[in-house]
Amino acid sequence: MAVSPLVAPPTDTLERHAPSRATSSPFKRHASAAPSSNGNGNGNGNGNGNGNGTARLLGLGRAPSSAAAAATLDPIEQMNEDEKRKYVKGKKLGEGTYANVYLGHSRRDPSVLVAIKKIKVQSQYRDGMAPDAVRELKYLRELRHPNIISLLSVFSSKDQNLNLVLEYLPLGDLEMLIRDVDRVRYGAGDIKAWMGMLARAVWFCHDNAVLHRDIKPNNLLIAADGEVKLADFGLARAFADPGRRMTANVITRWYRPPELLFGARHYGGAVDVWSVGMVFAELIIRAPYLAGNTEVEQIALICRQIGTPTEDNWPGVTRLREYTVPSETVPVWGRDAYVGRFGAVGPDGVDLLVRTLALDPRKRITARGMLEHGWWRSEPKPTRKEDLPRKSEGGEEKMGADLKRRNGLVEDEPNARGAKVARKLDFGQAK
Amino acid sequence: MATEDARYRQSSQYELWSFSPAQLAALREKTNSAARSRIAERLSSHPAPSSNGFSVSTSSANTPDPDGTSTPALPEFLTPAEEGLVVTFYTSELLRAGDHADMSDEIKATAAAFLRRFYVTNSIMTYPPPQMLIVALFFGCKAEGSFPSITEFGETFGKENPEEILAGEFLLCQGLRFALDVKHPFRALRGAVMELGTLPDIEATRIAAAERRARDILRFSPLITDAYFHYTPSQIMLAALSLADRGLAERLIQQTFHYVPPQPDGGADDTALLDAAAATTTTTTTTTTTTTTTTTRHTPRSGGSSQEDRAAIIGSHIRDKVLGTVEACRDMLSKELPERRGHWTNKAVIKAQIQPIRKKLNKCRDPERWNLVELQRARREQASRKADSEDDEPEANEGPTGRGGGIPGAGADGDVFGGGGGGGPGKRRTVVEKKGLDDPFGPAL
Repeated sequence: MAVSPLVAPPTDTLERHAPSRATSSPFKRHASAAPSSNGNGNGNGNGNGNGNGTARLLGLGRAPSSAAAAATLDPIEQMNEDEKRKYVKGKKLGEGTYANVYLGHSRRDPSVLVAIKKIKVQSQYRDGMAPDAVRELKYLRELRHPNIISLLSVFSSKDQNLNLVLEYLPLGDLEMLIRDVDRVRYGAGDIKAWMGMLARAVWFCHDNAVLHRDIKPNNLLIAADGEVKLADFGLARAFADPGRRMTANVITRWYRPPELLFGARHYGGAVDVWSVGMVFAELIIRAPYLAGNTEVEQIALICRQIGTPTEDNWPGVTRLREYTVPSETVPVWGRDAYVGRFGAVGPDGVDLLVRTLALDPRKRITARGMLEHGWWRSEPKPTRKEDLPRKSEGGEEKMGADLKRRNGLVEDEPNARGAKVARKLDFGQAK
Repeated sequence: MATEDARYRQSSQYELWSFSPAQLAALREKTNSAARSRIAERLSSHPAPSSNGFSVSTSSANTPDPDGTSTPALPEFLTPAEEGLVVTFYTSELLRAGDHADMSDEIKATAAAFLRRFYVTNSIMTYPPPQMLIVALFFGCKAEGSFPSITEFGETFGKENPEEILAGEFLLCQGLRFALDVKHPFRALRGAVMELGTLPDIEATRIAAAERRARDILRFSPLITDAYFHYTPSQIMLAALSLADRGLAERLIQQTFHYVPPQPDGGADDTALLDAAAATTTTTTTTTTTTTTTTTRHTPRSGGSSQEDRAAIIGSHIRDKVLGTVEACRDMLSKELPERRGHWTNKAVIKAQIQPIRKKLNKCRDPERWNLVELQRARREQASRKADSEDDEPEANEGPTGRGGGIPGAGADGDVFGGGGGGGPGKRRTVVEKKGLDDPFGPAL
């Protein structure tokens, strides 16, 4: 088994990192590094070849001792055991393909409740630790903010499953409150309070150069004290360096901004801001604002309700690789058009909403801009969090359901590429 | 708003993976001696089959017995210095492997940091560095948001059986204490270059040349030394820039920490006071990203009450401190300039320095940890034996044990990753004076 990288057979399997075939040609490197890699490769190869053989023999020959092997713990293993023992795992709150969620509590102080999210080893992802788990771990570990779900600890259970210990958020999520029209009443001050907490969370992510990429009401969980917490960082990523491409296939469809629907590969915090706008609208009208059943329908809804993206209102939009819009162009609606449906939050609130829904991401308000908006200072004042409406039952299960959900890339349209190719046709037929 | 310094002090890079040189040396010493005693125990309790090349009995005949015990079959163990040399060698191998696969600077740098972090608390006698470096590259890709297929990844490095890479992944992740975010100096360099570009009297060609050289240094020197353990990304960037063009680096620092207190006679040069907004982005002592040197706007002199603040943030005292820190980092980087790439692949060097250690290593490896695939299999077997009770297991245990450290409550999440290692979260601490050696692994995760 060759160990030195330079004696590896030339391939370009990692060409996603390679700017071009020319630079990725391993022959060049191979040749130039050959004199040194020979010596190195030999030494390395010999040493390792022996080593592997030896170890394998040992391992196979001493199967009975493997239990003993795992029983004596190295410091890092001991630390993990200690961490694991700090929590007591309780009843299962939810079971999904991606994760199981358990109620738990601190062993030392049983009144301290936690949610333990045990990431499952996934059958369909065969390349080790799943992307959602890696992203969630990476970003939640670094981001600490009152409006972002806290990662309290991480440990591995014996079958090498990752366990994320998260703060316990027993009051469900915003979706529950929005949907329960009969029993939950709320007003402009409540919406302002929830939106304020959401805007702070998003600003904090962006200020730390992190895109969330899946903001929606059921990712906004509610703590016992009423605080809203942004959760589920399974699709998050760092801001890309200029020029680096990202996937457009993120954000749940109803909350996905037009630039992603058009296949933009370079984008920034504006994608999250659009989602915030959609959540804002949904809080007001208590139903998803633009609920398309397909991407095509989603674009059609945006065009009809907000306006058709054109070169006039969004220079460059027609060059996005999947730009297609219904042939009938709808001019961008002005503020007045929103007052009828969204006037409950007052003129300042409508102004903020309209700014979050600017078609051109460059003209969309930023997360920081949202925080500086005049709406927060106009009447009514945001409701104090302890006075916010809440649902007493069902929250625990909801948290379980929210946390177990597999996030991953947007999976609702398995043949998304094909669907987009057919988009023009669809618009034609619809007309 | 939190300053960049405050932000950086919240990062896992600072909390878990920043040490003073003395702390780092003590940690490595401890890792080494712990591995020695464990391996000694394992070797003597499970005498290796004679056919497997461990040949412990012959090698130890003329080996000094470090523990003073008279166990006959103990091999000679590696010293911390030898371990350090080997880790450096394999870091160089890792960087070459990353080049071979045309990985991005960030991925290579993250993987290198992963490898070196892993071997702070794990001995190379315990887990095999040639395998772990591939694991680090694989996991480095993932941490940087690229998710290669394991089969293709394995093929790139001539591994037909990728099981070994996967077997090491969780081990590495655990060894990193589940902190996957590594902060690099690359963006800081871009910021510095943009900053320099705004200065009227510096030629663009000079800046471009300095950037090229500094970037080349950043791709190698800090990664193969302990720089990431001791310095912040912006300090490393300034040190690299200083090696490329000392004048430019010093100019940047002077430009940033330019505050001169007004003279009593009113003759002071106060034309270059920072405005309050810029001042909030502060001290380069631990600044992280592009704004190392904040855009300094020339404003009319404002009220005198903030003069002390200004002096504390951008005064000459801080400037001198930064200059000193950058100089120390520069010294460290200068020992492994990019030209040294050839050193680590030089046949004679390897033969003289690395091979003898490898030979020793062949005899003192941990028999129960070295084979990653076997290790994982053993763990899985053990887990499946316990699978039935796994979900209830913690509850079924004997109740509260009250082990040492405080248990983070949901309400006190600020400190759960261990901000409590001395001083409140907001307290200014430098890397050097940070952690007590009484808690060498840092605070509990």
